[in-house]
Amino acid sequence: MDLDLQKQIIDSTQAVFDTMLMMPLTAGISLSEKVYDFKNSISGMLGFAGEIQGMLTIHCPQEIAFAITSALIGIDVDEVDADVKDTIGEMANMILGGIKDGFTEFGVQINLAVPTVLAGRSYRVSGMDDATWTTVPFYLDEGEFLVELKLKAPK
Amino acid sequence: MGKRVLVIDDSSTMRKIVSRSLRQAGLDFDEILEAGDGQEALTLLESQSVDLILSDINMPNMDGIEFLRQKKEIAGIAGIPVVMITTEGGSDIIGEAKALGAAGNIKKPFTPDKIEEVIGGLI
Repeated sequence: MDLDLQKQIIDSTQAVFDTMLMMPLTAGISLSEKVYDFKNSISGMLGFAGEIQGMLTIHCPQEIAFAITSALIGIDVDEVDADVKDTIGEMANMILGGIKDGFTEFGVQINLAVPTVLAGRSYRVSGMDDATWTTVPFYLDEGEFLVELKLKAPK
Repeated sequence: MGKRVLVIDDSSTMRKIVSRSLRQAGLDFDEILEAGDGQEALTLLESQSVDLILSDINMPNMDGIEFLRQKKEIAGIAGIPVVMITTEGGSDIIGEAKALGAAGNIKKPFTPDKIEEVIGGLI
């Protein structure tokens, strides 16, 4: 597929931050190596299927997740509670929603699942090892987070 | 009795955002009720009356499309306007929602201004 996946990720993530969080966000350049291991982080994952299948994941250090949650729902948080987990899952949902629009314009139909969230002091995220992947780092005042898109053709 | 709105979304975060956006948009609701999916909403509507429903589409248990389908068959609630608030921008699913009676659609992410624009004329 000739769709510019890095641009899709950046445009959709930027739109969510501009519209709903009012947080200045800077996008980096796609990573050249996969990141599997995370510490003191939260990962929101959302699968999709259809004419192409895959997974959108947002990986946030806790401090970033707290800042996003505070900005989105207007309360201060300092622990990984249900609000923080739900917020990161919803971020994945909104970012993939924007990317889905890009797919649709390109003539590719997908259907979204519902988000799942992982959080912990140290964990490893793997799977869909045969998929193509694009991971874009984003920078906020509080630090860096990643948005990863994995794609593969349906069997 | 003041106006009441029901917000249906499986994300508690999104329910909070919608509630806050309604206040920021200056929309005059005296009470905001919440449900986590379509089934929970139908159960709630058996005992509570509302003037407007704002519903996500992509939810577990009962999604927004099935909620619309069942709601339109229930005489006491069939006439309550429903606005979809969803990440779904595709014309197919939005068209299906409109065919089932949805009064409008708000795409996530959204601003309070967009909420006011779509909902303002319905209350």
